[in-house]
Amino acid sequence: MDIELVRFMFLLTVVSFYVNLALSIYGVIAKPNLVKKIIALTILQDSASIFAVLVGYKLWRPGLTLQPPVLTDLTPTSETLKEFVLRSVDPLPQALVLTAIVIGLAVTVFLTTITLHIQKHFGTVNVDVIGRLKREEVYEEVI
Amino acid sequence: MILILVLSLTYLTYLGGLGELPPNDVRLIAKNYLNLTYNPYVKSLWASSPEAVTAIVWDYRGLDTLFETVVFYGAVLAAITLFRKVAKEKDMLQSKGMSVVVKRATAIVTVAMLTVAFSTALHGHLTPGGGFQAGAIGAVAPLVMIVVFGKRYLEDRGLSYGRLLSLRNLALTGIGVTSIALFTYALIQGGFSFIFQNQGKSLSPYSFPSYTLDVPSGGILLFFNVFEFLAVLAGFTLVFLILLGSDELLSKEFEGGENGY
Repeated sequence: MDIELVRFMFLLTVVSFYVNLALSIYGVIAKPNLVKKIIALTILQDSASIFAVLVGYKLWRPGLTLQPPVLTDLTPTSETLKEFVLRSVDPLPQALVLTAIVIGLAVTVFLTTITLHIQKHFGTVNVDVIGRLKREEVYEEVI
Repeated sequence: MILILVLSLTYLTYLGGLGELPPNDVRLIAKNYLNLTYNPYVKSLWASSPEAVTAIVWDYRGLDTLFETVVFYGAVLAAITLFRKVAKEKDMLQSKGMSVVVKRATAIVTVAMLTVAFSTALHGHLTPGGGFQAGAIGAVAPLVMIVVFGKRYLEDRGLSYGRLLSLRNLALTGIGVTSIALFTYALIQGGFSFIFQNQGKSLSPYSFPSYTLDVPSGGILLFFNVFEFLAVLAGFTLVFLILLGSDELLSKEFEGGENGY
């Protein structure tokens, strides 16, 4: 593959990573809607995962064609194996990202259910309104 | 200000990403895994799986993945606990579902979805994929069916809370049994083997089958992928059953508890 193209794709990925990071942290902090907070959190998780995978794609030697960490030859000779080890990207970040995605999904499933619970109880998912309702209900303040 | 921050961070990472951000010794770990995952010349350390990621996920770092499965199980259980009053009940709304055209098309596509999911699970050690990915693909089928046919329609035909929970528990028990199966076998034979052992090691010659009909089967990886597929499929379907319940059903959870949190 063209080395300039590879460099450009790296640049694009890194830029989009930081833009996503900034946007999602803004979303988690600033949006009052709980569903939007969860969406922003998901984007944050996926940005971190993409960054970890990107580290595995680090160009170890310029001009080298990279390949996925899957051996296609089922009866490999030692030359095939050497070629595979040289060209293949790092599989360890991909395995860790797989774990991270599962944990992230577990968290998302739980948060979604909690949000549904809150919506059924208060009738809204806006944290500002929920805070006011809680003060009225629990402490019987009049605002 | 934020733009400058983003651009400067990008500049630093970009130079680092092509240069020295991860130190060069990190590649040694990757080379080790890549070299050993399907290396018939070093049979005491191989995983018999041409796919390095699955080999790491379920063989070299199998315990990590076991606990990850436990975390997912716990999250689904916690989600069900929040709606424990209504989780076991059938929905009271009798929805007719969508039109006949949509229903027929969905019935055909659902079979295709489940087939793709199952093949992803079975080929997890040969091509990119694996148990969790297969479960995530397969869970789309019940989701679409609940939307198109209506929840009550499926519940009347046997898609119940108890059955899904049994399937999930069964699959997790399968993962546990698979991890100690070789250990038990070696004990019966009067030998010795490690828990979570896939292929034979230099200390213990016992091994799961490496090949099925001259295709590498990855030994323990195949069983783990299939069980994980069933566990994830059942877990997602359970959560969808709750999330897609009707308003009348979900409101029953709050009867008698309107005051305070």
